[in-house]
Amino acid sequence: MIDAPIGPLGSELEALASTLRRSVVEVRTRGAGAGSGIIWSATGLIVTNAHVARTEHATVVLWDGRELDGTVTAHDPRRDLATIAIDPGKVTLTAAAIGHPTDLRTGDVVVALGHPWGITGALALGIVHAVETRRGAPRWIRADIRLAPGNSGGPLADARGRVVGVNTLIAGGLGVAVPTTTVSRFLDQVEARRTRSGYRAA
Amino acid sequence: MAGPSTTTPPTGGVLESLSNDLAGAVDRAGQSVVAIHARRRIPASGVHWRPGIIVAAHHTIQREEDITIALADGSTVAATLAGRDPSTDLAVLKVDEAKVPVASLADASAIRVGALVLALGRPGTAVTASLGVISTVGGEWRTWHGGTIDRFVRLDLSIYDGFSGGPLVDAGGRVLGVNTSGLSRGAALAIPVATVNRVVDQLVKTGRVARGYLGLGMQAVRLPASLVEKLSLPNDIGLMVVSAEPGGPGDKAGILIGDVLIAVAEKPVGDAADVLSLLGGDQIGKTLATGIIRAGESKNVSITIGERPREPRDARGARRGR
Repeated sequence: MIDAPIGPLGSELEALASTLRRSVVEVRTRGAGAGSGIIWSATGLIVTNAHVARTEHATVVLWDGRELDGTVTAHDPRRDLATIAIDPGKVTLTAAAIGHPTDLRTGDVVVALGHPWGITGALALGIVHAVETRRGAPRWIRADIRLAPGNSGGPLADARGRVVGVNTLIAGGLGVAVPTTTVSRFLDQVEARRTRSGYRAA
Repeated sequence: MAGPSTTTPPTGGVLESLSNDLAGAVDRAGQSVVAIHARRRIPASGVHWRPGIIVAAHHTIQREEDITIALADGSTVAATLAGRDPSTDLAVLKVDEAKVPVASLADASAIRVGALVLALGRPGTAVTASLGVISTVGGEWRTWHGGTIDRFVRLDLSIYDGFSGGPLVDAGGRVLGVNTSGLSRGAALAIPVATVNRVVDQLVKTGRVARGYLGLGMQAVRLPASLVEKLSLPNDIGLMVVSAEPGGPGDKAGILIGDVLIAVAEKPVGDAADVLSLLGGDQIGKTLATGIIRAGESKNVSITIGERPREPRDARGARRGR
C-alpha cells in the first residue's frame, strides 16, 4: 500500500500545477476554437498541434491573461505539430522543463494541463496506459487520463512536472500524446530547413 | 529581453514516489497478466492464477478450440478450456507450461472504499493499465444469471477494450480480484479473490459449476384482492409461470403455464430471486414443497430440483462487455 500521506501529495500536485501553468498558453485562431500550447523557449517559441494552429496568425494568451500576437512558423500535419513565434518584449516567459518519454513506464503518474472546453488552466491526473514504440523509439504515449477538446497542443507531464508529450487526440477514451522526442526531431528539421534556405525569423 | 527561465522540478517528492510505486505494481503484477486469443477483433486478458491455470472472463471466450495465450515473457502457448461459469462470468483455461509467475493474491481486507487500485490488461503484446479507486463495497450478491459473488465491488476506473479478465491490483501489485464489464451492463466490477478461488476449484474439478434448476420462466404478478382474501394469502404478489421447459423439473412435477407460485419451501415468494436463492448447486436432487394457485384454488406441488443444462453454444459470449 501507499505510505505517502495524502497531505503532501495534494500540496505537491498544487505546486506542480502552478509551475506548469506558467509554461502553458492558450492558442486562439480565427475561425477555430481555442487550443493549448507549450512555451518551449523563453525567447518565444511555442509548440502546439498542427490542428490547433491552422492559420498564419494566432493569438497567444499567457497564464496571467496577457495576449501576444503570434506567427505560425512551422506546420506539420503528419506529426500534428506546429510552432508559433511570439515576441515576448519585456514579458518574462517561463519555458517548460522537458522530460524523457523513453523513461516512461506503464503506470507512471502523468498530468495534463490545458484548456478543455475553454476552461483555462485545468489540470487532469492519470497514468501512462501504454507507450507505443516504433523501432525502439516512442511513437505515441497513451494515457489513462480525462482530456477534452481544448487540451490539444498542451503538455502531458510526468510526476515532476517535466513535459513528456503534446496532448493530441482522444482515442477509445484514452489521451494520446506525441512524445517530446518527436517534437525535438521536428524542431531540428525545422531549424535545418531554415538554415538551408537562409530564412531568418523577423 | 528577459533571459531564458526554466525551472528544474525537484526530485524525490511524494508524487514521484507514487509514480514509482504504481509503475512498480504494474511491472510486478503484469508478469502474471496474459493475452487470450479466443475471439475475433482484439484479444482479451487473463490472469495466471495457479501454476498452469489461467482465469479469464467467460464472455470474452468466444471459441472453444484453437485458443492461444500470450505470456509476459513474449512466448505464446496453446490453451484448453477447462470450463466456464456464465453465472459469475468466469472461465478457466489450462496451459501445459507457463514460465511466468502466478498472481500474488491480496488479503480480502484490502478491498475498501477509496483504495487506490489499478486495472491491468494485456489486449495485445504489452501490459496496459488504468488507475482509479474502489467506489462501492457491498455484501454477497447474485448476478442476473444466478451466480453468487462474495462481495459487490464496484470500481471508479475505465475498463478498456480487452480489459475484462484482467486483474484488479493494489498499489503493491497484489491481486484483489478479476475485472469484468460483463456482469452489470458494462459497469466496471471486480469479482473478488474468494469467488474466483471457489469457481476455479469447481471448474478444475468438474469442468462446470453445477446450479439447481426448475425449468420455469416466471414473472411477478399482483393477485386480485378477492383471491388474497379467499385464500388468506400472506401477501398479494406471486410468480406466474410464463414458460415451462418440456421435460424440465417443473414440467415433470405437473406445473402448467399460468400457475402462480406463492410459496416455495414454506416461504412466500414475490421475486424470481427468491426462488433462485434456493437453487444452489448443493440443492440438486432435493424436493421443494411449492404452493401454487391454479384456477382460483391453492394447491401443493413437489418439485425435484434438477441440474441446469449447459447454455446453448450460440448464446455464449453474446453479452455486452469488454
